[in-house]
Amino acid sequence: MRGRFFIFLLATVIVFNSCRNTSNSSGEFIFPEADSVPVGEAQKLSAEAIADISKNISSPVEIANLLQFLEVPFSPEYLASSIDANKQNTAFDKALALGILGADLGYLNMYEKTGTSIDILSSIRKLAEGLRVGQFFDFETIKRLSLNKSNLDSLLFLSIDSYTQIDTYLRDDNRGQLSSLMIIGVWIEGQYLATQVVKRYPDQMLKDRIGEQKIILNDLILLAIPYCNRDSEYGDLCRYLQKVKEKYRDIRITYTLGEPISVEKDGGLVIEQTETSVVEMTDEQLTEVIDVTKEIRDKLISNN
Amino acid sequence: MKKYFITFLLLFTTWAILSGQATDPLVNNCITSAGPNSKYLKDFRVQLGKASKPGELRYKTQMSLWKNTKYRFTMCNSDDSKGILYLSIKDNTNKVILSSYNQETGKTYSYVDFICNKSGIYQISFDFVDGQQGSGVGVVSMIK
Repeated sequence: MRGRFFIFLLATVIVFNSCRNTSNSSGEFIFPEADSVPVGEAQKLSAEAIADISKNISSPVEIANLLQFLEVPFSPEYLASSIDANKQNTAFDKALALGILGADLGYLNMYEKTGTSIDILSSIRKLAEGLRVGQFFDFETIKRLSLNKSNLDSLLFLSIDSYTQIDTYLRDDNRGQLSSLMIIGVWIEGQYLATQVVKRYPDQMLKDRIGEQKIILNDLILLAIPYCNRDSEYGDLCRYLQKVKEKYRDIRITYTLGEPISVEKDGGLVIEQTETSVVEMTDEQLTEVIDVTKEIRDKLISNN
Repeated sequence: MKKYFITFLLLFTTWAILSGQATDPLVNNCITSAGPNSKYLKDFRVQLGKASKPGELRYKTQMSLWKNTKYRFTMCNSDDSKGILYLSIKDNTNKVILSSYNQETGKTYSYVDFICNKSGIYQISFDFVDGQQGSGVGVVSMIK
């Protein structure tokens, strides 16, 4: 009995560890060797682990912040304007579109483009109501804050918090597949934004941010894996994500070591990390990532 | 008449300010205290009882942090909190990158600016000093 328990414990530890991103001893980030985690094992991931994974996905607000830092002007061309909330028939389409438009909303909010954001807000409300999560989206307040342009922080808080509440509710309501779709939609649109901008503004920092997405890509796939066999829509999405992963396979992320430097300043603490991550990605690899992202994003919004 | 108008104006202004804010006043105040040049990213509401024995920080979560970004972690305590909230961040090798509590001096910092140069998934942990019972919020923002 004891022996069996030990084997079970060991297997659990191995499976769980194999599901997470790792960096090896030479200081390079690698995809876990268990290339695709078996569906059965992924389904056993605890709700807590899934919630953690969902927090790891980079916020589109951070991408937009980087674009502002690089003084990239706003462009409505990058928005998924073709999404018509009335034409999203299945829960799959609604949840994915909710994520994609959420990323667009983050981009608009950061650039304070309030006129366009009202149209997107209306679509978001329709989609959220269609998924019976409209109660978490404070449309009127967000709209007023958008129009006032007075309080960006409150606008960001309410927008991000609405999505966080929807995500939590869907998981608690045994509709985790929709939550995963929403998060995948947010990521794909953020990635689309970054990859389209880098074509016009090939800044190294932006290139690095695109390459660094390798770090969270496996987690993103883990969110989708439990549902890959659900139906053809989910199956296609899983294949798309694997295709993206394939393009990232030979992009290298290495690390240099260093100790953080801390300084007290104005009553607070400032910590500068001297350890660094370095992305090694050729122009060809970047082009492949740009192309595959566009191809997939276009497919996902093509049902309009 | 003028008195009524001023009262109305005051009430309207108060409503306009309050209704545009987060529902939890603690979170809202904490977002504000992060400063005008910060952009809200995330918050972690932490409520813990007294720890049975001191040890590992009890509230654990994860977050991806990206190179070339300056993050501000602001810690705020509710008025009735017995303990003072603090934060610790570890990287993917389990190395402590920062703590807002200096155990040697006993000093806590209400905010920590972190200049991130290594993209990755970090473990963010919170607790109250000496494992006290407490209620607070940690707000993560980006700053210029």
